Amino acid sequence: MLIDEMKYITPEISLLCFALLIVVVDLFVTRKGVLPILSVIGALVAAFFTVGLWGNGGISAFNNMIAIDQFGLFFKLLILASLVLVVMASNKYVLKFEKFQGEYYAVLMLSAIGLMLLVSAVNLITIYVSLELSSISLYALVSFLKDKASSEAGLKYLILGAVASAILLYGMALTFGLTGSTGLTAIADYFRTSSTASPLLLTGLVLIIAGFGFKIASVPFQLWVPDVYEGAPTPITAYLSVASKAAGFAVITRILMTAFGQPDWLHAEWAIIIAVLAALTMTVGNVTALVQTNIKRLFGYSSIAQAGYLMVGLAAMGMATQGNADIRSGIIFFLFSYTLTNLGAFIAIIAISNKIDSDQIADYTGMGKRSPLLAGALTLFLVSLTGLPPTAGLIAKIYIFNGAVDQGLLWLVVIAVINSVISAFYYFRVVKVMWMGEPASQDKVTSSWPEWTALAVCCIMVVIIGVAPGAFVGLTQAAVKMFGI
Amino acid sequence: MPTIVPWLIFLLPFASFLLIGLILRPFLNKWPRVAGYVTIGAVGLACALAFWVLFAVMGAPEHKLMVDDIQWAIIGNLNIHIGVLVDALTAVMVVVVTFVSLMVQIYSQGYMKGDPGYQRYYAFMSLFTACMLGLVLANNILFMFVFWEGVGLGSYLLIGFWFHKPSAANAAKKAFIVTRAGDFGFLAAILLLYASTGTFDTQTLYNLVATGALAGTTLTWVAIGIFAGAAGKSAQFPLHVWLPDAMEGPTPVSSLIHAATMVAAGVFLVARFYPLFQHSAEAMTTVAVIGAFTAIFAASMGLVMNDIKRVLAYSTISQLGYMMLGLGVGSVAIGIFHLFTHAFFKCLLFLGSGSVNHGTGTFDMRLMGGLRKAMPWTYATFVIGSLSLAGIWPLAGFWSKDQILVAAFANNPVLFTLAIVTVFMTAFYMFRAVFMTFHGEYKGGAVPEHGSHDEHSHGPHESPAVMVAPMVVLTVMAVCAGWFNVTGGFSQLLGSEAEGTNLVASFLGVFMHPLPLASLIVALLGIFLAYAMYLKKWISPEKIGNALKPIYTLLYRKYFMDELYENVFVKTILYNGIFKAMAMFDSSIVDGTVNGVANTTAGAGGVLRKIQNGQTQLYVISIAIGAIAIAICVYLFH
Amino acid sequence: MLEQFGYVGIFLLIATGFTVLIPLLPKLFKLMGLIPGKKTAAKLVQYECGMQTIGKTWVQFNFRYYYFAVLFVLLDMLTIFLYPWAVNIKDLGVGGLVAVGIFLVILAVGYIYAWRKGALQWK
Repeated sequence: MLIDEMKYITPEISLLCFALLIVVVDLFVTRKGVLPILSVIGALVAAFFTVGLWGNGGISAFNNMIAIDQFGLFFKLLILASLVLVVMASNKYVLKFEKFQGEYYAVLMLSAIGLMLLVSAVNLITIYVSLELSSISLYALVSFLKDKASSEAGLKYLILGAVASAILLYGMALTFGLTGSTGLTAIADYFRTSSTASPLLLTGLVLIIAGFGFKIASVPFQLWVPDVYEGAPTPITAYLSVASKAAGFAVITRILMTAFGQPDWLHAEWAIIIAVLAALTMTVGNVTALVQTNIKRLFGYSSIAQAGYLMVGLAAMGMATQGNADIRSGIIFFLFSYTLTNLGAFIAIIAISNKIDSDQIADYTGMGKRSPLLAGALTLFLVSLTGLPPTAGLIAKIYIFNGAVDQGLLWLVVIAVINSVISAFYYFRVVKVMWMGEPASQDKVTSSWPEWTALAVCCIMVVIIGVAPGAFVGLTQAAVKMFGI
Repeated sequence: MPTIVPWLIFLLPFASFLLIGLILRPFLNKWPRVAGYVTIGAVGLACALAFWVLFAVMGAPEHKLMVDDIQWAIIGNLNIHIGVLVDALTAVMVVVVTFVSLMVQIYSQGYMKGDPGYQRYYAFMSLFTACMLGLVLANNILFMFVFWEGVGLGSYLLIGFWFHKPSAANAAKKAFIVTRAGDFGFLAAILLLYASTGTFDTQTLYNLVATGALAGTTLTWVAIGIFAGAAGKSAQFPLHVWLPDAMEGPTPVSSLIHAATMVAAGVFLVARFYPLFQHSAEAMTTVAVIGAFTAIFAASMGLVMNDIKRVLAYSTISQLGYMMLGLGVGSVAIGIFHLFTHAFFKCLLFLGSGSVNHGTGTFDMRLMGGLRKAMPWTYATFVIGSLSLAGIWPLAGFWSKDQILVAAFANNPVLFTLAIVTVFMTAFYMFRAVFMTFHGEYKGGAVPEHGSHDEHSHGPHESPAVMVAPMVVLTVMAVCAGWFNVTGGFSQLLGSEAEGTNLVASFLGVFMHPLPLASLIVALLGIFLAYAMYLKKWISPEKIGNALKPIYTLLYRKYFMDELYENVFVKTILYNGIFKAMAMFDSSIVDGTVNGVANTTAGAGGVLRKIQNGQTQLYVISIAIGAIAIAICVYLFH
Repeated sequence: MLEQFGYVGIFLLIATGFTVLIPLLPKLFKLMGLIPGKKTAAKLVQYECGMQTIGKTWVQFNFRYYYFAVLFVLLDMLTIFLYPWAVNIKDLGVGGLVAVGIFLVILAVGYIYAWRKGALQWK
């Protein structure tokens, strides 16, 4: 029964209720401080429901539209966690909007709902619909500042997103035309009996990869990233760079593994496409990042590079013959640590730029003297992004690269390691500017307590994962259980 | 014994470092003394646990505890685990390190009182101790290297603790750079080991050596590389120059460096990889020869120094030479036993010199004299420490030195001669120091160098109880530490076979055998000469100094080693020769290449940035062309 | 299959033919002398019926029209969903009632939102 299956989407429903509640409360309440609290409570309630579903491994609901499996639930928790952190980080930033604070939180939550459905969808149609739900919310959020840069970014994101969405839809249509089904497991059943790659299939596959390539910022579909990241409100940039990207990787992992995971000739087909794109993506991301002067653009390119490292994992997954669980857990681990690290970095950036009102790296000069704690935290995150001990970034890179070497992708790992070295240049340039230079002003840079809390959580997690990764590796290994595999 | 115990020995001081550095110093700056209590508590607890480990090891079969590795992470098929190696060597070392460190920390409360960097001092001390313990406990050579460098870092921070003094900053740099020279050898050895065996694990290396899988030239080079690292840290010739300068740090730091942590690390390293050395005669000879030469070389310089800490510093180098000699000609037990006894009396002597400094405000012995009456406790403990160092029966130093002499005698007459002459010199310079400092007339002291000790102005005085108490405890150890091996118990613990003689017979047995008797007589002669020259003035030191002017100058200028390094190596060869050539090479070829690469990269970045021109239609085209290009490639290549 | 496409094809042909034929018809009649074919001003305007446009075509509409349009769509949705439910009210039972209740609540939130934001006022 449909009604009975409602319990499988309780996290999304509860989040939706809170989103509506926030809109209504915003209308009647003048003290806007209550809104972020409501959002956090909503996210926590949704997280509570999500955890409650954890035991249900591999159920599909609503006529094979949505799967309840550890993989999806893990990503739902990750999305909710980044939602909470972004809300906490927005706490002071929203004052820039004056009006529409309630809408900001509500739309943010709606996009989270879209992403949560996206990671659990096992049908091309639900995938597409939830992708659109999250994307449309994000288009609105990107242009939320309503100044020139923000509006331009939002419009660009909308147009390019629509193009990518059309390409994706075309790919899905071709796949449907070939296999006669939109369910991922049904598509897999079709391929199990076929033995050759028809041009139709290849075109469909390429178009699907291209469509999601836009979402995860893979070359050559990454051009929107720096412009949108720069123009969007900084908390939204943070949200785009982690939650949206994590969900994108989750869904492409799911599609490739479930629908195109068997037989061997098929997964070898996409593995090599992704391997080449991975090499291009990280190289372009890192090399272009070298010449950036704006910290948000820098992080835009950095996130492209990080996507490249993740795609190394995807490629390795395609190379493995029997759906290697270790590699999948490596991707999940990388996303987990990347989410915490990047969010942490953005929270520090938000706190700093709130005060100095600039995103130029040059204006970060002497930040170590003006706010040792913020600068110290940002340094830690940059160290983690570079992949140095004792941080989560190192373990994540070891995890992914190790899996790739095992699958014979040594050449790709060599490129990735060289890229990691290149990345040290621009990450440490920020560190150097913060600690070496003389500050332009003696004003202390401080922050609000929600930001401090969010920052502390990220810092502690990044270090704990870096020092004692055992428990988190275990968690990600539990999260690889995917419906249909 | 729970697995956690050996871990805690390392983790407690490390936690203390973090606690002070991250919480106490930023937030509880009002109560600096808390930092001292935290450190003492942590090190004290670690010391208690160290004794527990020692007793557990003594009771364990083969004197080795099996401590399971901690699974750090299983990442895919990559299994990373970290573990501790708890054998007799580790157990003895942790006891020495924690015990000496504890004494030094307690003493420092008095010595560092009122210093503005009080918390920083304790944070660094905790870190220094923790790194040394980590080095001792680590069960693989890679982690050993990490902690090895950690010890180097700790020494750098502490020697340069008063970094506003240029001499301290320079000494810290010197210590760091000179020991780094040795570390190259160590690192090379590690890489060579890994290349030839594929493992970092100490126990596996032992097994490989025992089975003969690791042998021959490789083994010799590995051993010599490790010894190069050890020579840097343990201040062996020719890398000894940093240690005398290292006294620029606070005296308790010198005490810790000279007794238990920094310099002991080198000896420990050789002892840890002793099986590797044993299978290479060349390496053993190198260790023994360098050790013996360093012993006499440093002792000769100690004869003429006027700074009490410098005398002690050269004595340390000399004694470290003994330890190396003991390892080279004897066994782990002999070398480590000397390290064990030396730790107590050398720590005591340094604390004594610190106490003298606390009372007079100077380290220059020519400005002291007659302190016997003003500082009775310091005097008594210092004399006992000196007697122990000189090797007078039945104090600790006698027993350990005796074993080295016996081993050297059995091995090679030349080495023995060097060693026995050093015994004479040691006795002489130590008592020269005692007589100059504590006897005769007080010569006025000096104005304090750092303004915190304002009580110096009213004449020499005894130090507070918090400084005297550790000295007394160490005195007891300086007397008794040697007795642990009278019946061979210590040697047996460290794996040497020892004849089970009875206590009284071996205690008094020294007078039956010619060799110990000879060394005792030589030592007494040294003391007598000092007595004659510096107390009774029967022989005028000035006259001898003038008569042997060239030698005196040579010794006083430390064989011109500093000048040699400074002018010949650093300026002529390194700076004018190699560095300039390197600079040429660097600026023309390397820089050219790097700049070329960098320009290309940055240029590529620039080109890529141009594509990013903000034109939405271009982006759309890029998406379309990208998708089509991928599709075409797939058709062509699939 | 093909037969059904055939119908479409025939339909396509007729449609094309009709579209081409109608503009050509006056020319044909003129050639045959059936009509005079005099050009007057009234004949040359785009549309030969209806009102003459007044002023420029680039008129700015008040944007509040869009608000009303959107709110109207909201009401439309309400009707579209409520009608089938009302037809089957007995079969759908309590579950249907609850579902429609939720639907109404969501729409009500929309209306409250529009009302509080001033979208219902014409200022």
